[in-house]
Amino acid sequence: MTESVESLERHISQLRTAVREAVLAGDRERASALRRELRQAEQDWDEALARAQEAGAGDREEAGREVAGREEAGREEAGREEAGREAPGQDRGGAVLAGPANAASARAPQPPQAPLLPLREQVHEALSLLTVPAAPRLIATVHEAFFAGTFPTARLTSMKRDEERSFRTAPFARPYYVCAALTADLLAPARGLLAISTWPMERRVIGSLSPRVDFLTGAIRVAEAIERLPAPVPAARRLLWRFAASIPGAAESAGNMHPHEVTQAALAELAVHQAADQATRHAAARRARDQLDDAQQLFGTRIQLAGQRAQAKGGR
Amino acid sequence: MNRTEARLARIRGRALAKTHNARTIAALASNPGCARRAILDAAGADKQRIAAYAGFPAPFGQSRFALARGNAVEAQVKADGAAELLTLLREHLNLPIPQAHYDDLSEVGGNTSLDLRHARTRTLLARAAAARTDAGTMFDHPLLRLEVGGRHAFLEPDLIAFQLHGRFTIVEIKSFPVIDGQADGAKVAAAAIQSAVYVLALRDALAEQGLPAEAVSHETVLVCPRDFSSRPVATSLDVRKQLTVLRRQLARMDRIDDLLDLLPNDLTFDLDPDGDGIPRRSPAALAGAIRQVDARYAPECLSTCEMCFFCRDEARGGTAALGRDVREELGGVEHIETALRLARGARAGNDLAEAAELLRTAARLRADIIKEAV
Repeated sequence: MTESVESLERHISQLRTAVREAVLAGDRERASALRRELRQAEQDWDEALARAQEAGAGDREEAGREVAGREEAGREEAGREEAGREAPGQDRGGAVLAGPANAASARAPQPPQAPLLPLREQVHEALSLLTVPAAPRLIATVHEAFFAGTFPTARLTSMKRDEERSFRTAPFARPYYVCAALTADLLAPARGLLAISTWPMERRVIGSLSPRVDFLTGAIRVAEAIERLPAPVPAARRLLWRFAASIPGAAESAGNMHPHEVTQAALAELAVHQAADQATRHAAARRARDQLDDAQQLFGTRIQLAGQRAQAKGGR
Repeated sequence: MNRTEARLARIRGRALAKTHNARTIAALASNPGCARRAILDAAGADKQRIAAYAGFPAPFGQSRFALARGNAVEAQVKADGAAELLTLLREHLNLPIPQAHYDDLSEVGGNTSLDLRHARTRTLLARAAAARTDAGTMFDHPLLRLEVGGRHAFLEPDLIAFQLHGRFTIVEIKSFPVIDGQADGAKVAAAAIQSAVYVLALRDALAEQGLPAEAVSHETVLVCPRDFSSRPVATSLDVRKQLTVLRRQLARMDRIDDLLDLLPNDLTFDLDPDGDGIPRRSPAALAGAIRQVDARYAPECLSTCEMCFFCRDEARGGTAALGRDVREELGGVEHIETALRLARGARAGNDLAEAAELLRTAARLRADIIKEAV
């Protein structure tokens, strides 16, 4: 018991140092996440101390009684702490299984913790689950449902620009970039969609059927991820219902929804669109690879002023 | 510049002409009998500024909260390739499954220039109309153009025009709720006339491509939140009546000469700004100029016209200020004062006999009720 209290004290002082460093470095996001963890650790310390006191008193008064019960309680507590501490590690590995979400549901209800991962890695996690270009709002919801914590979508709007700047100063210096999806016709950045640079070009170009195809694909991925979860996560089911409600024959109601039925319904509609969509995407991807330079392939081309003038003249 | 244009330019003065949008065009049709509004709009005068300078500023424009709510509802139904909207359209219009195309026209190649977007909209609509296949189902934020009073107004339907069995339908997304199948009548009426503006503009655009007017359905689709939830519901709106009113009103703007002939030649709403743009004309003189043009005030004006407070002040004491119903019931009685005199039993001429009888009955009933209550 005292050992766990002491280790918590060590953990708390480490966290205090980390909070100070984060605050001085001006990293508010990290600082507030660390503060949350610090508060949690202090709470755990209080609980552990109370238990130690209780155990001491019990030992003195009725030695030997209820030992088994106490041990059990102690094991349970240790398990809880373990789950809490393991959570960030699971995130880092990009595992689909929702460690923190499960931990949260097992624990007393509390708001999901913001993880310590950089924002771009959180985006990468969510997009890797979906496997299709997605809008910031969907990315945030997926992350909230399957990984720890959520983030304000407003912060994603500047992300693409930051990534582009980083790419232009040092091309391919990072293992991946959060980049744009390209419109199939003009190979311009598609409004409000984010993608991952390591994906094949075919997946990153968006024809007129692609939003629907990507929506259905996303639904299938989310349904599969839910089936892999060891325990039901309400946030994930809510997300799946958002998809299922817009797929014919996927589910009757939010309560009566089965992931494999959603998958079947999505696959059925996907079969209708896929051939036409693939043709458009392959043609556009070939064009993009032939015509665009590296940066343009990731972040798209924009119609410039001179081009705009010419186009306007042509339109008249 | 012909004679009419010259006169309208003089009425507008040195201010820049205001361009129309769907709301202002819709407002034109809501009070077709108002010569003041017709003249001001035809001249492209800045009504807000004129009303404020004449001493009757109107707190006009949409509230911030209404705008935010409207945008949120629109973003929701259009999220993920307009997934919710597509479901609604499939249920409501039996849209076949393969028709699931979605084209975003709110920018072209990362550029939001109006001309570019208009050209692109026309290209895509023409391609969809010509192909007769599934080449285009939903067009998000197309940019259309309508000629109003000799000038082009760009219209950006906050909605999607899409093709179904070779027909285009206008879809309007609004944030007011439909509760138990019922919605606020005034708001539906406003949405209907706004949709009608878009139908007209879309028909114009297709006519340039040689397509008949029937290619655009006169039934538009209104999408609103259902009950107290955020789930959307679709309703059909028949806008044939609104189209007729609009066409008549737009034609009337072209025949603005008839109205101008009734007005003095030197009429102007110019604020006479100095070098820094500060008006030098006296507010009283401006108000006098405005009064030279007849208005037809009705309480509905308060929600559609920037001049409303000016006209309401002017109409004070008149039966029109009590609403269209009262005005029609009391046909011929123009002032509330007269109405009260007639109710108390004053002698009325033959033309007012019917209204006088009605008023006396009403007065007797009221007296009875008050007596009973006491």
